[in-house]
Amino acid sequence: MDTGLTLADRFRVLNALGLLAVSAVLIAAFFDQLVFNDLPCPLCLLQRAGFVCVAAGLALNVKFGPRPSHYAIMILSSLAGGAVSTRQTLLHIIPGEGAYGDAFFGLHFYAWALVLFAVCVLGSAVLLLFDGQFERQSADAPLHRPLLGTAAIVLVLLLALANGVSTVLECGSGLCADNPTSYQLIQDGTLNRLIGR
Amino acid sequence: MMSLPFFGVFLALAATLMGQRMAALALWVLSVATMLVLFRLHVTDPLNIAL
Repeated sequence: MDTGLTLADRFRVLNALGLLAVSAVLIAAFFDQLVFNDLPCPLCLLQRAGFVCVAAGLALNVKFGPRPSHYAIMILSSLAGGAVSTRQTLLHIIPGEGAYGDAFFGLHFYAWALVLFAVCVLGSAVLLLFDGQFERQSADAPLHRPLLGTAAIVLVLLLALANGVSTVLECGSGLCADNPTSYQLIQDGTLNRLIGR
Repeated sequence: MMSLPFFGVFLALAATLMGQRMAALALWVLSVATMLVLFRLHVTDPLNIAL
């Protein structure tokens, strides 16, 4: 079936699906935070930041077409996020020493994060194997603009913004508490003063 | 301060949507650098556990 899509276009769709997968991870973390009131610790927040940094590489591939540098962004972001999740996994690795937050299908979120950052590195490396996606189209060739790609970028952009706002509510303008139990700006009345109540 | 990487990538994604590739790359670099500095500050967090 000839869909008129180049190999580069097909890889842009793949990257858009990757963006949706990263969005699903961020939504799951938010769901746990809002529904079960499981406040993210500082290391948890930095792992979320790692995922949004991975999303930046995926979004560049979707918007501008696949480039090795965009995959490098995904790998470097995964390594940064993976370093944080490795650190937190090691904090809790001794049996019987407790954990932070809820378990999800048998693993805690930081262990899942480590697995998923490894999957991001593996996925980027596998996608880099396909040289044909990097062949430049002629300048006058119209760039295919899939609605899925733009929608996926907008979704992850909104999730990055929501995480930023949530982090400000939780931690204010400074560093977060090591073991947060409440939203600092709501607890101390700052939010109420700001909205005039 | 912990929110800076999120706002940085938010701006990088906005730049991406607007077709500003170099701005998006620069904002990503800033965001990852900020994230690593924050990691350095938090890497010894006790997290209420016994080591």
